[in-house]
Amino acid sequence: MLNIENLHAHYHTDEGTDVHAVDGVDLEVGSNETLGLVGESGCGKTTLAKALIRLLPTNGEIVDGSVNFKETDLTELSDEELRKQIRWTEISMIPQNAMNSLDPVHTVGAQIVQAIRTHEDCSKEEAWNRTRELFEELGLDENRVKDYPHQFSGGMAQRAAIALALCLEPALILADEPTTALDVVVQDQILTMVSELQDEIDSSMIMITHDMSVVSETCDKIAVMYGGNVAEYADSETIIKNPRHPYTLGMRNAFPDISKDTQELISIPGSPPDLIEPEEGCKFAPRCPFAQDECREVTPEPEEFEEGHVVRCHRADEVEYLQEEASKRETWAEMKDDQGDLISATDGGTDE
Amino acid sequence: MSFSDILNRGGSDTPSGVGIGQRIREAFQSTVDLFSGERMGQFGVFLLITFILLAMTAPLLAPYNPDTRHEAEDGSLLRLAEPSGDHLLGTNHEGQDVLSQVLYGTQVSVFVGLFAALIAVFIGTNVGLITAYYGGLVDDILMRLVDIAYGLPFLPFVIVLVFIFGADLFNIVLVIAALLWRDSARVVRAEVLTQKERDYVESAEAIGASDFRILYRHILPNVLPIAFLYIAFAIAYAVIFEASIAFLGYGDPELISWGKMLYQAYTFGAIRFAWWWVIPPGILLMFLVSSVFFIGRTLEKFTNPELRH
Amino acid sequence: MGLQRYVGRRLVQLVITYWVFLTLLFGIFRLAPGDPTSMYQMDGLSPEARQQILERLGLNDPLHVQYMRFMVDFITGNWGDSFRYGEPVMDIIVIKFWNTVLLMGPAFFLAFAIGIIFGAFMGWVRGTKKEKGGLILTLFARSSPEFWIGIIVLMVFTFQLGWFPSGGIRAPGAEINSFWGRYLAWDFLHHLALPLLTGVIFYMATPTLLMRSSMISVLNSDFVEMKKAEGIPEYIILYKHAARNSILPVTTVVAIVIGLTIGGSLVIETVFNWPGMGREMVQSVTYNDYNVSQAIFFLMGSVVIFMNLVADIAYVYLDPRVRFDEQ
Ligand SMILES: Nc1ncnc2c1ncn2[C@@H]1O[C@H](COP(=O)(O)OP(=O)(O)OP(=O)(O)O)[C@@H](O)[C@H]1O
Ligand SMILES: [Mg+2]
Repeated sequence: MLNIENLHAHYHTDEGTDVHAVDGVDLEVGSNETLGLVGESGCGKTTLAKALIRLLPTNGEIVDGSVNFKETDLTELSDEELRKQIRWTEISMIPQNAMNSLDPVHTVGAQIVQAIRTHEDCSKEEAWNRTRELFEELGLDENRVKDYPHQFSGGMAQRAAIALALCLEPALILADEPTTALDVVVQDQILTMVSELQDEIDSSMIMITHDMSVVSETCDKIAVMYGGNVAEYADSETIIKNPRHPYTLGMRNAFPDISKDTQELISIPGSPPDLIEPEEGCKFAPRCPFAQDECREVTPEPEEFEEGHVVRCHRADEVEYLQEEASKRETWAEMKDDQGDLISATDGGTDE
Repeated sequence: MSFSDILNRGGSDTPSGVGIGQRIREAFQSTVDLFSGERMGQFGVFLLITFILLAMTAPLLAPYNPDTRHEAEDGSLLRLAEPSGDHLLGTNHEGQDVLSQVLYGTQVSVFVGLFAALIAVFIGTNVGLITAYYGGLVDDILMRLVDIAYGLPFLPFVIVLVFIFGADLFNIVLVIAALLWRDSARVVRAEVLTQKERDYVESAEAIGASDFRILYRHILPNVLPIAFLYIAFAIAYAVIFEASIAFLGYGDPELISWGKMLYQAYTFGAIRFAWWWVIPPGILLMFLVSSVFFIGRTLEKFTNPELRH
Repeated sequence: MGLQRYVGRRLVQLVITYWVFLTLLFGIFRLAPGDPTSMYQMDGLSPEARQQILERLGLNDPLHVQYMRFMVDFITGNWGDSFRYGEPVMDIIVIKFWNTVLLMGPAFFLAFAIGIIFGAFMGWVRGTKKEKGGLILTLFARSSPEFWIGIIVLMVFTFQLGWFPSGGIRAPGAEINSFWGRYLAWDFLHHLALPLLTGVIFYMATPTLLMRSSMISVLNSDFVEMKKAEGIPEYIILYKHAARNSILPVTTVVAIVIGLTIGGSLVIETVFNWPGMGREMVQSVTYNDYNVSQAIFFLMGSVVIFMNLVADIAYVYLDPRVRFDEQ
């Protein structure tokens, strides 16, 4: 249903340089499927989501690639076509901070009614009734449709934002960290509810999050992003049980409870890459315990292993070795020591 | 690196040993950085410096004594002469050289603008610092005072005061300053209230720094950018008010100012025909005031980063 | 509900402000050089006669007695006589008050209406040449004192083009039949045009600039992006969401612009010979006619204080966050 090909999105900066926030992404989302998009802060997840519906800020631009949604390339549509045919009717959004995403001077209900009536020819009354029903379904008191956003608690506002996202029963929902602002209990409730409603209206979803445990529970497929690329893409089970990319392996260590292989929390040393006009080579190489000369010199291309398991890594074929080594604390610890003089790899002995 | 970054250092992490000379040099450098690429701001700085130089060198530049009544060849008063080689901007109704008058008029506007603004912002910044830091009754009383100051119609009040205390330039400066401080007091207070919550204030309190030290060594540098912005605005208002007072006939009778020139031209009915007498003081007035507004726009971008786009 | 309590509290504040204002008024005019008799002194007023006048006017009484009487008189609208006209101040001022209100009132509202639209537009097209041009024009308008704008306007529209009269409120010899006949006349509008234009140009600048910067920060906020994602048409986002939110901070300068407008009436009325309170104020100060000046000062202050109240209530009304949370 959604097919992203070789998407590049850049931000132009005041200094005249470009931030390559999305740097050649290929992804697919099928009907009624939930794709989890995970990765460290700053790896381009939000940029990717915004690029899909062309909502990049004024200094952002899609420089290459296509976003094929139900046979149309969204990058080719005119603004007006996009607005009328795609936005909200086909693709909607659940924002990270619902409170800020609702206009403070209009009632919550009025904003949902406005969205409905912008795209559908229906009477005011009918729109209000639908809004009340949505409130019910999301566990909100229907009498509060005439409240202003600031009269809601954070959790209620989030539910209202979800109601807004669902009101036109879109084919695809983009959820950018929809629950990070909430406490864990409410998070769970809301995520469960979203999944149920999503099934009910038969829509697909892209769920962006930092939290591996969230995606492992709710998503059918997972894409792990690193530095503007998709490092690894597969169904949830594969990503969690049988990943091939060293970055995914490292991430998995940071959430010991989701995989049985590793029991202790190990974090990946180093910091995310600078996305300003990156050079050739694998972006993860500077932090990768398995990096070799090739990794630093040649950018790996996405390669498909088993059906639907795509990895961007030169050494992805050495899967057993990688998985074995990556679960050891020393593998990552040694990295930490040698941070200063780039990477002296632990395996091949390829010293510079 | 922005202006406030540099100033912030004073508050947050500079050990108190850093010399004041060093700070001033850094502040100067950051001011230069601030205006690079800001054409409007550069234009404003250029204009303002030009006006200040004009004011200082007016006696040298002016071709004549501005009070001299020039005579025509036949011995009659050279009234309302059009611009010519002798009188580049012609003469006024009393045969005085307009160019010389305009140049001397620069002194009044620049003097009033700078002094009234500095005094007003000096008072306002201190009031803002103290009320926000101590809060309580002091704050309540001073802020009610500010509210009441906002309830006074400005120009009528100034005119009444000038009338009472006498129309000499110093009084005019003081009266304008006495009313303008309210703006900077209000914004500085608001800014201090947010700064007070910052870590650096807490840590300074924790190591037992005195109130005075916290206020003036730690907090003040952080509110300076806003204070500078309000100096710019205050200069603009002070110049406008001085000119308006003079235009209404309450200016210092001893001095030639742009407002007074326009007052004379207006009451004489010269705006019908003697453009050379009317246009120069008006245009200069407009450019002087706009110079500080242009500078203000640049400063504002750094006190309110959202405006940068 | 919150709103009523808020208005109640503001009314109490209003009374206090008024009291301080009147006290100040009393103080200032007692400090003024000369007293009403100085006008007669030129006509060879004997010291005894002078004492008589002072006695009659109650100026020899102890200060607190004068103060109490002043307060009572002012509040009851008993503003004394004008020394210059020899008539009750009230009679002189009423017409002048309306003349001023009918000039400065429209100037104020047009300045805000145009300023808000213009500022919203500049914020919307931020970063373009249009915005830059508009910004520079606005800054120049704001930099020109009212009398300078007035002089330019006169030079262009009266002396060059001859379209409008140079001043006054009606053509000489025009007949007036009633209060409303005075103002509902083509002739009045013809005279109103230039002073109104002058005021609008100057007062527009402040709301324009504020609306622009307010607009820019609102346009950066999440909910505007969200409305775009919702596929709401741009023009609706512009006026229903962005502009509507941006107006809130603009209401805070209402007070400042009111103050400017009131003060500006002195200048604009002088330039255009408009027989209003402002011009009367300038003249009465010159002539030591301080019953008139203090009455006008009182009226001007009242307008500012009252409009401040209106602006605050409007703000509370426009912003639901304040409307409901204010205790
Ligand atoms: N408006 C912008 N202008 C310039 N650079 C930007 C802009 N927005 C984001 N970036 C940069 O683009 C990169 C990707 O940002 P993005 O917001 O997409 O990351 P993210 O994966 O969503 O992070 P997070 O998990 O923190 O939300 C970052 O390096 C960020 O600094
Ligand atoms: Mg993000």
